[in-house]
Amino acid sequence: MQSSSGILTKFESKSSRAKGIAFHPKRPWILVSLHSSTIQLWDYRMGTLIDRFEEHDGPVRGVDFHKTQPLFVSGGDDYKIKVWSLQTRRCLFTLNGHLDYVRTVFFHHELPWIVSASDDQTVRIWNWQNRSLLCTMTGHNHYAMCAQFHPTQDLVVSASLDQSVRVWDISGLRKKHSAPTSMSFEDQVSRANANQTDMFGNTDAVVKFVLEGHDRGVNWVAFHPTMPLIVSAGDDRLIKLWRMSETKAFEVDTCRGHFQNASGCLFHPHQDLILSVGEDKTIRVWDLNKRTAVHTVKRENDRFWVIAAHPEINLFAAGHDNGVMVFKLERERPASAVYQNTLFYITKDKCVKSYDFQKNVESPTLLSLKKLGSPWVPPRTLSYNPAERSVLVTSPTDGGTYELVNLPRDGSGAIEPAGSKRGQGNSAIFVARNRFVVLNTSTQTVDIKDLMNNTTRSFKPPVGTSDIYFGGTGNLLILTPTAVHLYDIQQKKTTAELAVTGVKYVVWSNDGLYAALLSKHNVTIVTKTLEQVSTLHETIRIKSATWDDAGVLLYSTLNHVKYSLLNGDNGIVRTLDQTVYLVRVKGRNVYCLDRAAKPRILQIDPTEYRFKLALVKRNYEEMLHIIQNSSLVGQSIIAYLQKKGYPEIALQFVQDPATRFELAIECGNLEVAVEVAKQLDRPKLWTRLSTEALAHGNHSIVEMCYQKLKHFDKLSFLYLTTGDNTKLSRMAKIAEHRGDFTSRFQNALYLNDVEDRIQMFKEIDLYPLAYMTAKAHGLEEECQSILEATGLTEEQLNLPTFGEPLTPPKPVVPTYKANWPTKTTSQSFFEKALLGQMEGLSLEEEPAAANGPGEAEEEGAVKKDALGEAEEDEDAAGWDMGEDIVPEVEEGFVNVDSTEAGGAGSSEADLWARNSPLAVDHVAGGSFETAMQLLNRQVGAVNFAPLKPRFLEVYQASKTYLPASAGLPSLVNYVRRTVEESDPREVLPIIPRDLEYLAANDLQRGYDAMKANKLEDGLRIFKGILHAVLVNAVGSESEVAEAKKLISSASEYAVAMSIELGRRALGSPDEVSKNPQLLKRSLELSAYFTIPKIEVPHRQLALLNAMNLSFRSKNHSSALSFANRILAHGGASKLLETARRIKSQCERNPHDAVEIEFDQFAEFEICAASHTPIYSGTAYEECAFDGSKYHTKYKGTVCTVCEVCEVGKHGSGLKLFA
Amino acid sequence: MDPYSAEGELINLHSHFHQGQYQEAADYDASALSPENALAARVLQLRARVALGRAEEVLAEVRGAAEPELQAVGALAELALGRADAAAATAEALAKAHGAANATVQVLAGTVLQAVGRSEEALALLAQHQGSLDAVALIVQIHLQQNRNDLAVKEVAAARRWAQDSLLVNLAEAWVGLRLGGEKYQQAFYVFEELAQAPATSSVRTLVSQAVAELHLGRTEEAQAALEQALKKEPENADAIANMLVLSVITGKSPEEWTSALQKADPEHPFLKDLAEKSDLFDKAAAKYKAKAAA
Repeated sequence: MQSSSGILTKFESKSSRAKGIAFHPKRPWILVSLHSSTIQLWDYRMGTLIDRFEEHDGPVRGVDFHKTQPLFVSGGDDYKIKVWSLQTRRCLFTLNGHLDYVRTVFFHHELPWIVSASDDQTVRIWNWQNRSLLCTMTGHNHYAMCAQFHPTQDLVVSASLDQSVRVWDISGLRKKHSAPTSMSFEDQVSRANANQTDMFGNTDAVVKFVLEGHDRGVNWVAFHPTMPLIVSAGDDRLIKLWRMSETKAFEVDTCRGHFQNASGCLFHPHQDLILSVGEDKTIRVWDLNKRTAVHTVKRENDRFWVIAAHPEINLFAAGHDNGVMVFKLERERPASAVYQNTLFYITKDKCVKSYDFQKNVESPTLLSLKKLGSPWVPPRTLSYNPAERSVLVTSPTDGGTYELVNLPRDGSGAIEPAGSKRGQGNSAIFVARNRFVVLNTSTQTVDIKDLMNNTTRSFKPPVGTSDIYFGGTGNLLILTPTAVHLYDIQQKKTTAELAVTGVKYVVWSNDGLYAALLSKHNVTIVTKTLEQVSTLHETIRIKSATWDDAGVLLYSTLNHVKYSLLNGDNGIVRTLDQTVYLVRVKGRNVYCLDRAAKPRILQIDPTEYRFKLALVKRNYEEMLHIIQNSSLVGQSIIAYLQKKGYPEIALQFVQDPATRFELAIECGNLEVAVEVAKQLDRPKLWTRLSTEALAHGNHSIVEMCYQKLKHFDKLSFLYLTTGDNTKLSRMAKIAEHRGDFTSRFQNALYLNDVEDRIQMFKEIDLYPLAYMTAKAHGLEEECQSILEATGLTEEQLNLPTFGEPLTPPKPVVPTYKANWPTKTTSQSFFEKALLGQMEGLSLEEEPAAANGPGEAEEEGAVKKDALGEAEEDEDAAGWDMGEDIVPEVEEGFVNVDSTEAGGAGSSEADLWARNSPLAVDHVAGGSFETAMQLLNRQVGAVNFAPLKPRFLEVYQASKTYLPASAGLPSLVNYVRRTVEESDPREVLPIIPRDLEYLAANDLQRGYDAMKANKLEDGLRIFKGILHAVLVNAVGSESEVAEAKKLISSASEYAVAMSIELGRRALGSPDEVSKNPQLLKRSLELSAYFTIPKIEVPHRQLALLNAMNLSFRSKNHSSALSFANRILAHGGASKLLETARRIKSQCERNPHDAVEIEFDQFAEFEICAASHTPIYSGTAYEECAFDGSKYHTKYKGTVCTVCEVCEVGKHGSGLKLFA
Repeated sequence: MDPYSAEGELINLHSHFHQGQYQEAADYDASALSPENALAARVLQLRARVALGRAEEVLAEVRGAAEPELQAVGALAELALGRADAAAATAEALAKAHGAANATVQVLAGTVLQAVGRSEEALALLAQHQGSLDAVALIVQIHLQQNRNDLAVKEVAAARRWAQDSLLVNLAEAWVGLRLGGEKYQQAFYVFEELAQAPATSSVRTLVSQAVAELHLGRTEEAQAALEQALKKEPENADAIANMLVLSVITGKSPEEWTSALQKADPEHPFLKDLAEKSDLFDKAAAKYKAKAAA
């Protein structure tokens, strides 16, 4: 597709000489008028000839589409102008008037006019609505070769072989023909006058400028779409550029280059370029501002006659001796690269920008690449290196160049690249942080280069290599016209090869496991080892692709976004109004670059492909979710499900009863089928249902069907087979009613009802049969009565011999009572889920959701409380005192690093102890003694045994083992929490279970234990938290506060839980209630349990516990106070209800039966050792670490809460942040 | 020409060995190699077999061999079998006799000497090398084990100048990078990842290395994935288990599962030895403190 000369041919036709071309403004159509009198209508996108129009006699030189109406116009050597309908594909009418060949015809952009130029030296304007000639412009004195309307103003420009270009003012014509709604007198006069002058000269169209400069005939002329410029092409082989103002027009410059007659020219609709064609078999592109040649495209044999531009998109067409070519001047695919959440791309003005997918913002220009390649050639590819933050850009100029540029750290404004490296190559991509690969297609070499642009190695790729792509770490994907190779760079050989033709692009999935190979009409999905997974074909061009996170490929064609699953199932996601290049999919957003290289977001509905993906992966939860939450209906999905063998799932979507019935039958879901059949009540459905139900053994449904169908025979037989004799006899009655003797006989037979049979025979006068029946069953009396009735005697009868009468079998099992045996209907997982039978997978999400907010609120409240407490504690605690105590180790420290050579250095673990005054860093460094010293000094830690697990935990997390040379032990490296740091004086070890982790995990587990009343576990957890915080480090001062909050919270909980555990240890409730001493203590402890500052919902539990206990022990006054406290806090309604009930009962007799040491009005704290009150004002000791309070007599003992520190020993305070 | 260089015919075997693909190295078809490379190839394959734990059979194979290279392999095999003294004696003798000129002897004897703790002798021996990347890599590792990061950096930088893109230089640089940290972590990660993720070069060792780099970068989830991949390939790999253990501690999980796995896989692993040592240290240190009044 890509030609070396810089244009991209999109379509070529073969025909006789093409003289006129017109693009359809909307559809991908092009009209070509031929020298052979034919007009062709092509679809240049599909490459098909849509129609031919052959009414002209002789060559057709001019054609044009109407901008809005389904019309086109043509003019030919038969002097005729024909207007055609695109709908009927017929000629509507012919405009006659020209006296010689018609050269060009063009529609006006808004008025119903056509302008034509003819060899009769006139330019004429026609009205195609009333099919009249409006104006004949005379003045040229040789063939008029071309005439065009100005795109906005009332001007016409014409070119003639008289070597002039003329600009005509047609405002008079417009005035005359625009019908004013109201006509004032003046208007009438002026109008009359206008007509008057018309009769003499003509003011409708007056020559405004005559442009002389060509010294041969002028073949073509065109206005610039926006600027006051004109371009003309003449037989003097020149392209001339003219400028006009209100009053004058003059020649600006000449483009020299054609070496034969220049036959056509035009301005590029969007860029500052001029395009021209000539009989020298070239298409030339010129820079409008510099008038220099930009490209030249030469054909071997074909002279060019005409050129046309698409009004909207970047397409041109040129007509030559053997047909037409449609081409682009440049690739419109913006070069881009995606890294994580950032898109890097190159804009039309060659600036590198980035776009953040999460924030949806474009960055300012990071870098300007104006100097790369030639100004009119956009860069082709961009490769990004995150490690170095550099980009590798390739451009097709000069046979392919690449440039390696570092992006500035913070780009703003157009920054010229500094210190870029460049070279020759067609493709260049990064393959590792410090390597990139350059392909040179002309020499067929691949060079691997380092960042200094030095070739480190090079190799010959497979023959015909056209492009290279990243192939996963250490690999390249090499594209040749017929195959894709996976090439191992290290081993320098192809490790896998897949025959796929014409692959142009490779798109890797986000997890790097799959790649999509895009060719013009095919997408091939392969694994990272180049095994083909699936392939699909599109009739229309595939432009780009990107992978969804779930492994769905989204790709864009010229006009659709489509998806493909790994198994090749594909479908349309949405239509596109313009071509875009997909770069990323996230949720419902597809990010893409449009042809103007602007990032855009397209909304898509991913439901369909997600659903299909879920189906493929058998992810039923996901499917359920989708069914519930989206309106996934439509024939296509149903057909898809049915085709894929999931009728039961399809059933969930279908509303239409007929389809529903079909599906229900197919998946054997009889209930649904019955339901629908009832609804529709059509015999055909009942018949099918009965067959299906019979196959299932579900005879009650079969019965119902037969009843509905009035299939009495079948019903009877069904009853017989199921042994339902009562129903059978009812059937007999019904038969009797209906007067259907056959049926009656049959039923009687089934029932073995001989009398009835005889009776029936008698009724229908079949006495012989009646007699025979009676005789056969030995009913002699009956025989006699029959004989009598018929007046015959036995002798007169000639009887055959009878055998034994045959009786139908009697039912042994009442099968009719239940459907049995039935065919086991397999209920899929999915159906079960839909029926709500699966645990943890139900459609009933409402209740859970309803609970959610409530809980959330509660948590919110807890958090708020926690904050409040933190503030209190901050005031209360006397933590921050004293200067940092520098550990002793530092004094004896000699810098080993400075010694030059020989001998061992100190390990990083030693550095940690040196670098930090925190105990935890010493622990991580293995320096346990100094760590203990520090802790002893800071918080008076004396009993280290409980800290052993924590010490070892921290220590174990500090080192990794890196296998290095074979035969030697692994290299030990030290894991840091300062990942960014490389200064050995600043590095610090990683700490497992940091503050954040403790708050998010251990603390919550502690709370859960409290809620679940597992106090032993809870106590252990909270003590564990205390130990973990004691040997820990935080990142900032503010976190120190958080740590303290966590310490005091854990401490309060530990105290609270140990109080309650103490109470439970007193004995079983019975024993306690019998022993007044124990009872008193029990009540006291339950009251103390409510004192520690624990979270409100937990305190409520403690209060409830205390209230119930007091109430049961007839301590109504205490119970009342607890009830009041519960009510004051609020909470769950059930709890409050209980409190209210107890309150009302206690208020009747507010006295305590047992005197306890608990003054509800006094302020006090609980001694953590003795679990007795420490009233405010009395002296107390505390633990310097966790802040638990003790009676003074416990000074010097080990704190019962943290079990590490000495009570009453004041240290410098715990240090967590250096 | 250096037979291990990119154009040499031993490149693949050599790469396999240093990428930790010992099985591939041992199975490598060496029959097509030119005669002058046959011995070097055999040494590499024998070393690979030692690394695969087949030291016994290697020792039997080289017993009585005249070539100093094979004798050196014998020393390595003895070392692997735990007979450190015998190994060291052989290595010392070989170093004296052939150390000045024979690169293979330098590397193998150097390895043995370092392994028995005679680092200075090992360094002195290796310093005589003439453009052997194996020796460079070994020197770098010895420096790192001695915590002489500065010397390791110098050694790598010097090697980088004459052996730009060699696998061993890249590896050695990554080892140093993991020690230095900061931005070097990421670069080391790239090296290991490149090796570990390409099917042709992936091995348990490279996977473990990648995981270690990720661990140092604080990317615990990725590290876990890489380690799981490694353990899937070789469930008994002690280094993978040890690092997994460290990882689970860092992420706040209980490491017991891995501790017992490591005990089973390699009771002599430095991690376990070190931990037992520290545990004793703790008890000793803790005994110095006690509360004034008994609790």
